[in-house]
Amino acid sequence: MKKTDEKMPSGAETKLTGEERAPEKTAQELASEIGEKDGLKEELFRMCRQNHVAALSAAVILIIILLAVFAPVIAPYKEAEQDLMSRLQGPSMAHLFGTDELGRDVFSRILYGARVSLIVGIFPSIISLVIGIVMGLLAGFIGGWVDYVIMRLADIMLSFPSLLLTMVIMYTLGRFSNSIVCIFIALSLVGWASVSRVVRSQTLSLKETEYVEAARSIGVGSGKIMFRHILPNCIPSLIVLYTLSVPSSILSESTLSFLGIGVQPPAASWGLMVNQSKQFLFTQPWLALAPSLAIMVIVLAFNFLGDGLRDVLDPYMKTQ
Amino acid sequence: MKVILKRFLSIIPVLLGVIVMIFIMLRIVPGDPAAILLGEHVSPDTVERLTKSMNLDQPMGVQLLSYIWNALRGDLGMSYTMKRPVTELILGAFPYTVKLSLMAAVFAWAVGLISGIIAAITQNRIPDRLFMGFSLAGVSVPVFMTSLFLQYMLAFKIRAFSLTSDGSLYSMILPAIALGWNSAGSIARMTRSSLIEVMQADYIDTARAKGLARRAVILGHALKNSMLPVITMMALQLSSMMSGAVITESIFAIPGIGRLATEAIQKRDMPLLQGTVLFTTVIVVVGNLIADLLYSVLDPRIRKEA
Amino acid sequence: MRKRHVCALLTAAVLAGALCAGTLSASAAEEEKVLHIAWTADAQTLDVHKTTSNYAIPLAVFDRLFEVQLNDDGSSELVKSLLDDYSISDDGTVYSFTLKDGIQFSDGSALTSEDVEYTFTRMFALEDSVQTDFTSAIKGSDAVMAGEADTLEGFKVIDDLNFEITLDAPYASFLAVLATPTCCIFSKDNVEEAGDDFGVVPEKTIGSGPYMVTEWVANDSLTLQANPLYWGAPASASTVVFKIYPEPSTISMAFQNGEIDILDCDSIDSAVAETFKINPMYSDNIVYANRLATTYLALNENVQPLDDVNVRKAIQMAIDRQSILDAIYAGEGVTVDGIYPAGSIGFTEENQGWLTYDPDGAKALLEEAGYGDGFDMELSADASASASVANVLQIIAENLQAVGINATIENYDEAAWLTLRKSGEMPSFTATWTLDYNDPSNIIDTFFSSPDTGTLRSLNYADEEVMARVRAASAIVDEGERLAEYAALEKKIVEEDAAWVPLYTRQHLFIVNADTVEHFTPHWAGYSDFNVYGVTMK
Repeated sequence: MKKTDEKMPSGAETKLTGEERAPEKTAQELASEIGEKDGLKEELFRMCRQNHVAALSAAVILIIILLAVFAPVIAPYKEAEQDLMSRLQGPSMAHLFGTDELGRDVFSRILYGARVSLIVGIFPSIISLVIGIVMGLLAGFIGGWVDYVIMRLADIMLSFPSLLLTMVIMYTLGRFSNSIVCIFIALSLVGWASVSRVVRSQTLSLKETEYVEAARSIGVGSGKIMFRHILPNCIPSLIVLYTLSVPSSILSESTLSFLGIGVQPPAASWGLMVNQSKQFLFTQPWLALAPSLAIMVIVLAFNFLGDGLRDVLDPYMKTQ
Repeated sequence: MKVILKRFLSIIPVLLGVIVMIFIMLRIVPGDPAAILLGEHVSPDTVERLTKSMNLDQPMGVQLLSYIWNALRGDLGMSYTMKRPVTELILGAFPYTVKLSLMAAVFAWAVGLISGIIAAITQNRIPDRLFMGFSLAGVSVPVFMTSLFLQYMLAFKIRAFSLTSDGSLYSMILPAIALGWNSAGSIARMTRSSLIEVMQADYIDTARAKGLARRAVILGHALKNSMLPVITMMALQLSSMMSGAVITESIFAIPGIGRLATEAIQKRDMPLLQGTVLFTTVIVVVGNLIADLLYSVLDPRIRKEA
Repeated sequence: MRKRHVCALLTAAVLAGALCAGTLSASAAEEEKVLHIAWTADAQTLDVHKTTSNYAIPLAVFDRLFEVQLNDDGSSELVKSLLDDYSISDDGTVYSFTLKDGIQFSDGSALTSEDVEYTFTRMFALEDSVQTDFTSAIKGSDAVMAGEADTLEGFKVIDDLNFEITLDAPYASFLAVLATPTCCIFSKDNVEEAGDDFGVVPEKTIGSGPYMVTEWVANDSLTLQANPLYWGAPASASTVVFKIYPEPSTISMAFQNGEIDILDCDSIDSAVAETFKINPMYSDNIVYANRLATTYLALNENVQPLDDVNVRKAIQMAIDRQSILDAIYAGEGVTVDGIYPAGSIGFTEENQGWLTYDPDGAKALLEEAGYGDGFDMELSADASASASVANVLQIIAENLQAVGINATIENYDEAAWLTLRKSGEMPSFTATWTLDYNDPSNIIDTFFSSPDTGTLRSLNYADEEVMARVRAASAIVDEGERLAEYAALEKKIVEEDAAWVPLYTRQHLFIVNADTVEHFTPHWAGYSDFNVYGVTMK
């Protein structure tokens, strides 16, 4: 029986701890299997044909991205446009999701809020992916004390409950007034450790394979081996890891904003909107409901997509 | 035995690293704790006096060493805002968080296991799809939403539970459900995949071939063997529970560790934040250690490898 | 015959009275009257020398020499509390006091002049004392603060009940200062014995007030019990539980569920308070307190172009204060045009009414000042402030944008915000000052008495001459003359120099649970520190 931790879907934290024990055999199986595959693109198409939920999720994500990008065009009102005369109104034709306590259009704010969610979801995950790849490659390839130091560092990072770690980083960055930048940095610094572990274990096993040995014997440099031969083999599992880290970043942002230490007004973020409207739960429930559903939809979509991708790209993780 | 000892020793550099890291992260900014303590009613003289009396002018290295030394002796300093020893505050809050996390774990385990098993036996049929959809939805809902929703519906509208917790087991039910929700989803998915995998193994076929009933096979053989990863995952969930507790404790007014951390952040109470983060991290590290040891004790193959 | 009749009647009346009294006391003993109050955050310490927030508990547990009594018409007066008598020398510098005889702390020890002396000395001697400002007029306080003296020169113990306080110079509001939470009287033996535990550990925090602290679970709840040895009228609620609800949404739900007896509307969003106001279940149970507080928008004269008086005047005219009051605070308050809160001593009608919302006038003034194209302006926000304050800032930003000023809100966490403000470099912010004692000096001294105070509040009001007049005003012995000077200073600073934008004085609303609470009297200044002793239970 195999250790199956990495089958855990990504909840807010699970992704971090789940990858902790990525077994080394996996990489080997993976590497050999990937070689026989007909390429990434075909795989993705196959997923879309077979897994309708994943395909639908991809479509939903695409729509949300488009809505966010074109928010200024689509939104009927400006993000911070106030109308003190029409405060706390219910859903109507003029205001699809009603208005908040300053008479701002909730629908428009949700469109603008999508930008925050996507930005903090997509980009910090890329940064932590890059940091994780570099750290993992270095640790796996050089080995020795470098490996020891990097992996202990990863151990330390993974020991912190991630929300608390993010909060501590936010505390440290507290003097920067732009809260989105703070969240951005905090989330970038939190996620790399699990990535580095996966990359390291794959590097370790690939390092011993024949073709890497062959490349080495004909004098290919270490850097080239790392980036030309080892990294490409990690890509499928990295894609899965990435897709699953996006929703956890989005959840982290909304949680921080909900606690009042994330995005600050007048900026719109879904977590912040829930935070500000939770008081009106029993009088104007739609105020909290709309951003809550938005968070759920986007996180669910990324999770379903990640799940589908995992089934296709990561043969080891496949259950069927 | 050797592997256990080795694993045991391996947490020492991690724990030291954790202390150093928290220390550096929190001291890197030259804070002005005096300002926060004085608040709105403040005069220049008092600010000056207070800053002096707080005595933060020693060199960093000295401060770090004395912090580590004191932390090892269980002294985490005085809270700026609560004017009490941080250790005392944490120990006072810890029982609440333990109670909450344990109840959440029981809930998550019960719900997760049952729905995981149902999903596994109805693999790829409607109940499976339904349960798995739900579990993915479970992990996609932020803890604060579950908390607010449960509190509003069950404690305010229906009044079946109290809005806030007074520490009694009954009043902890709602927060525990809210906190365990995410983990339940994870466990359900884990149980399902682990069960399915085991059921495909040869010995299950043998058992079936021997004429054992399907149910008996599942409960007798498959479940037993698939529980290993699920059990160890519970310990790994500790970390996410500690994070989630920050939210549930705030919404349900439970005076636990998570509340201390939020208070410390909002009031910029550095010793308190340092202490709570250090404490929860140690709990997580120890939890993972236990999970590892449990794993190697329970899994004969790993024992052999050692 | 007649005599006997009367006698019989008298006997009957006495009997009936005794019976009544008997049943009354019996019923009081039977049912414990518990008062539940919601807090949003825990108190830090009950030692008022070490904190300037959460005065509710110290006010209930300790006594002061004077107390402010709130009359039914909303006015307030200073009354003796621990004192039996007092007199002031003709030159206004020597105060002679006599304590009431027989006052005990809740541990049974007597309260004497020595305790008072100890309290006042500690206020200055304590290294981390934060309460040295209001009482700094006492002779010798500087020496104690600097560590040069162990005893307070201006404090003379005559005997157990009599003592004298000497001031450096006449100080008109000294008696009012003695009624502030700052001047809670501690027990010398208790404080010395308890050490660091004083103010933190319930049984080591002894006072002479109507209540004693019996339990304190950090971040959860604090419980008070009526003090059986209290010298005054016993408190109506025998037990008071302050429970902490970190989420405002939980507070309003808990109140509707009957878990809270008196809801402080400051702890919930004003829009939610509004829904209670229009709900017939609660609309009759609202207690309004006149909050003696001024909310202002500070303008830093060291920051360009706020150094230009016309720009500041334009900003004063650009802000629609009534709309803010209506939208955010349901109209519960009045706009003020000066420094002193509406209803406070020093507040004059003459200095009101000059400032009206006039965006066109503001634009014209900006044009005149050479800023017709507008300029960038930062509004610094404390991210820990309530949602209402954040909303007010957003409306102000919108108001300023409407006249062409590109105002943006920058958020800081509380400590960073206070640090920046203290550095004198915060461009603009909004805050509220609630009077500690009912005298104009309390607020004007805080903001406009010296360049130091100006820096501390990031106002940097520049006119040295005016500041000297502010400092001198508190020593004017003639009351009419003194108030006239304060009014003149207010006019000069706000109307002529436009040092800040005065916004409003708000009402403070409380909603009581009519099933449990008979009557509630809030604090005279309407501050949020809950007045437990002012509650009469049903």
